[in-house]
Amino acid sequence: MNRFMEVLENILMPIAEKLNNNRHLTALRDGFLIALPLIIFGSILVVIANFPFLDQLIGEDAYAAYQAALGPASASTLSIMGLFVIIGIGYKLTASYGVEALYGGVVALAGFIILTPQTFEGVEGVIPTSTLGAEGMFVGILTAFLAAELYRYFVQKNLTIKMPAGVPEAVSRSFSALIPIALTLSVFLAIRILFSLTPFDSAQNFIYTVLQEPLTALGSGLPATIIAVLMIQIFWFFGLHGQILVNSVFDPIWYALNEQNLSAFQAGEELPNVVTKQFIDTFIVGMGGSGMTLAIVLWLFMLARSKQAKQLGKVGGPPGFFNVNEPIIFGLPIIMNPLILIPWLVAPVVIAVITYVTMSIGLVPKPAGIIVPWTTPIFLSGFLATGNAWQGAVLQLFNLAVVFIIWFPFLRILDRQYFRNEVEAEKETTNADNKQKSG
Amino acid sequence: MNILLACSAGMSTSLLVSKMKEAADEQGVQAEIWAAAQDKAPEEIKKADVLLIGPQMRFMKKKFGKVADEQGIPLDIIDAVAYGRVDGKAVLDHAMKLLNEQK
Repeated sequence: MNRFMEVLENILMPIAEKLNNNRHLTALRDGFLIALPLIIFGSILVVIANFPFLDQLIGEDAYAAYQAALGPASASTLSIMGLFVIIGIGYKLTASYGVEALYGGVVALAGFIILTPQTFEGVEGVIPTSTLGAEGMFVGILTAFLAAELYRYFVQKNLTIKMPAGVPEAVSRSFSALIPIALTLSVFLAIRILFSLTPFDSAQNFIYTVLQEPLTALGSGLPATIIAVLMIQIFWFFGLHGQILVNSVFDPIWYALNEQNLSAFQAGEELPNVVTKQFIDTFIVGMGGSGMTLAIVLWLFMLARSKQAKQLGKVGGPPGFFNVNEPIIFGLPIIMNPLILIPWLVAPVVIAVITYVTMSIGLVPKPAGIIVPWTTPIFLSGFLATGNAWQGAVLQLFNLAVVFIIWFPFLRILDRQYFRNEVEAEKETTNADNKQKSG
Repeated sequence: MNILLACSAGMSTSLLVSKMKEAADEQGVQAEIWAAAQDKAPEEIKKADVLLIGPQMRFMKKKFGKVADEQGIPLDIIDAVAYGRVDGKAVLDHAMKLLNEQK
């Protein structure tokens, strides 16, 4: 068993290193991080704009006016999150080469707009906001990569205008960016023209059709989701932060699916996707942390006999409420513990299936596209993520009970083991004391 | 003595920070201890004398190692057992041992 674990760790560790230290994946993750405060602001406003029963309380007309007044807040942040992600990725990727990063962000944004259709239903000079949100997610990410790479390449090739000494630094810096930016954006203009000659009409449309649509269709399915969840669990089993590793691959898909639901939710239409960013963050991770360890904390708190397990329940309780669970993962321990491997892998898959099915058949509303921070406590997170629906919180309660039952026998065995060890250790010390006394 | 802890979001290490501060107070050790998310850590390293990484982020050692080398400060992975127990004293001892070895 130990040999086997060692072999597996030797396989997983380099994967973790590659995933987390890959320059582009790091820029992608940090790009989303930059957009996050804006996304959360927009989400909060969506929640406030959709308070339950408010329409019955103040009347439909007043409610419509109220929603219209708050609408621009999320429309300018959450609904066009692609823009901020693009700037973030462009900035972070350029910075990773040690090149003036702000220009990397700006040039990525400009490159993206160049590739974006600038007419809508025959009206010139408009950019459809859908291309700045869900639809433009993939093309935006690819654009940001390409723009930042081209820009830093031209800068590093020294294709810049050198100013004579004595010119103020700010002035010379603005000129030094000129040629790399001009070259980069020329490439994007050429790409735009090339695509306008194809049946796809625009690069946006091309990437959406050949890449984003198939990938998100795959990612929205249950099989891909189960694979993602299992990968998270397996990495964690070896004490590696599975969530951020899997996120760096799946986030673009999950966010794109999320945005689709958001626009449908705001338009009052049927929500297209079950699997979204919030499906994972609220209904899988948001139950005490990766592996849904809140159920474990509850068990330890209520039923443990051994001092070790009781103590762990106390240490793991408060952070577990906010979905921080390293004390449980390293303290139980979950890592490298063959006894708990079964519930560790089975429970999240069971919960993923339950959540998927109950949402698919309409028993529980699908996630509304609101981004709920992963530290939001259970029940509140389920309520918010489903667009202020109590069924979301009830589903979490039900899932919590299921996880509790799955873990029950395994925790009992573990606790008894600890308890026996403690009793034996106590016996030994009393024996030693007695010997000393008699001797 | 400035001790920096790094993990993915700086959440779980911040649990440890408060325990380490308690341990430092008990021992009468003067120490500045704080936690940082992994994207902020390379910047924060400049203010630190020693860097400790959460075991779940041990795949960051190589990357942070480069920055720590440039700053000439030691770094190590926090022991998984001490991390699970949120054992402030053990991790504080670990940090002080690293600093002493360097001297």
